[in-house]
Amino acid sequence: MTPLLTMDKVRGGYGDADILQDVTITVAPREIVVIVGPNGAGKSTAMKAVFGLLHVRGGRIVFDGDDITGWAPNRIVRRGICYVPQVENVFREMTVHENLEMGGFLRKGDLSAAFDHIYELFPDLRAKRKSLAGDLSGGQRQMVAMGRALMLQPKLLLLDEPTAGLSPKYMEQIFQITRDVRDTGVSIMLVEQHAKQALAFCDRGYVLATGANRHEGTGAALLADQEVAQMFLGG
Amino acid sequence: MTVLNFINFYIVPGLVLGSIYAVGAIGITMVFGIMRFAHLAHGDMATMGAFFALAAIGLFGVSPWMALPIAMIMAAVLAVGIDRVFYDYLRERPKILTVMASLGLALMLRSAVQVIWGVDPVTYVRGIVRPDSYFGILLRPRELYTLLSLIVIVVALTLFLKTSKWGKAMRAMSDNPDLALLSGVDNRMVTILTWSIVGALCAAAGFMLGINTELNSMMGWHLLLPMFAAAILGGVGRVEGAVLGGFIVGLVEELSVLVLPGQYKAATAFVILLLILLVRPRGLLNGKVL
Repeated sequence: MTPLLTMDKVRGGYGDADILQDVTITVAPREIVVIVGPNGAGKSTAMKAVFGLLHVRGGRIVFDGDDITGWAPNRIVRRGICYVPQVENVFREMTVHENLEMGGFLRKGDLSAAFDHIYELFPDLRAKRKSLAGDLSGGQRQMVAMGRALMLQPKLLLLDEPTAGLSPKYMEQIFQITRDVRDTGVSIMLVEQHAKQALAFCDRGYVLATGANRHEGTGAALLADQEVAQMFLGG
Repeated sequence: MTVLNFINFYIVPGLVLGSIYAVGAIGITMVFGIMRFAHLAHGDMATMGAFFALAAIGLFGVSPWMALPIAMIMAAVLAVGIDRVFYDYLRERPKILTVMASLGLALMLRSAVQVIWGVDPVTYVRGIVRPDSYFGILLRPRELYTLLSLIVIVVALTLFLKTSKWGKAMRAMSDNPDLALLSGVDNRMVTILTWSIVGALCAAAGFMLGINTELNSMMGWHLLLPMFAAAILGGVGRVEGAVLGGFIVGLVEELSVLVLPGQYKAATAFVILLLILLVRPRGLLNGKVL
């Protein structure tokens, strides 16, 4: 199957120094791909490269047939990739419903079907739709952030550490919702700190270290790999 | 002193002055919230707006209150133009540069007013207006219209910000600019909208001060401190906070003459500003931290 997203030997960084050293990652349609690795491995950086937030100096990024290397984020959004940052990912002073509305800002016409779709994925949010996003719990806020990103009906959703700081209960819930989103036809690339749990639930995983590919494979295969276990997963 | 006298001599003037501060402070809080800098040209933009109204009266022969909307539109165009020519150039640089540029703009606007309209005080209308009595409360028509204008402005602005697509985009930009950009909100459009509203509000504040007192080239500069005090007191980025702050500063200034010599009236805004920064820097309604 042709991949939806291909990062081919991508090299680059925020300033002059290259953080990513020839990183190669592919995401197939309807696939959950997890990027794990120790601190400073360049996980989030790799994700930001896809979204045009990085100076890419080598390699290329192809999405759905288009070479999107060097595109500005707002153009990438229109092309069908949405990004959920790790922190500050909701409009705190706006209601849940308004957050979703902002997510659908670029869409024309009636959004009620889109709202219904999001509220079906996140039933908790329907009850909270008039609450300010800043007043919600961490887990619910993460749902608002994902909901906002999904309002544009992206083909690819980028999630930067969606479970950071969440209780195990919410972590499970976010993973479950991520699967539900995948089942609606969206590909997902996510960066995770909780490597073990993330590899257990993903379709495929990449282990990065010091800005370069180290291992890749299905989640189960990576979990079973002795070296991966020792290097990153604490034995 | 009877209650009615107290209301007529202190509360009514305090509310009128508070309305003027409130309209100015809303603009300041919007520039703070969305453009993220302290707009030092705000007062002199208000002066310019007040004189635009004078020009409209002279050119079209309309009544002062009919000249207000014309002046608001002219000031909106001026504010957008100033942003295009000056502030836009500094957008990606440290914000202190824009603050300093706005101080320069303040001086330029004031000089322009002095060159065009001179330095002598003028008024929109001549003659003495007797107040009408409303159950013993004495209000001049211009005072009544000032209070009503504030209400119209606040209701219209709130409706715009809470219900319209672009109003929400402005709130989103104030709340979390990075996320607003990720959501595809057009930064340039929000900037133009913000400056048109801010310019119009400046003209309204200058006009309201002008019609209740007189016009002179320094009028807006003297408004700057109380307007900033009101915006910060209410909580930066909060329209309702700016209104609350405006009324508090206006009332405290008028009431201060009960306990302080009249010359210290203008200093009370400064004291309020210092106190709020010391005690509650987020303001009464939890605005942004500066």
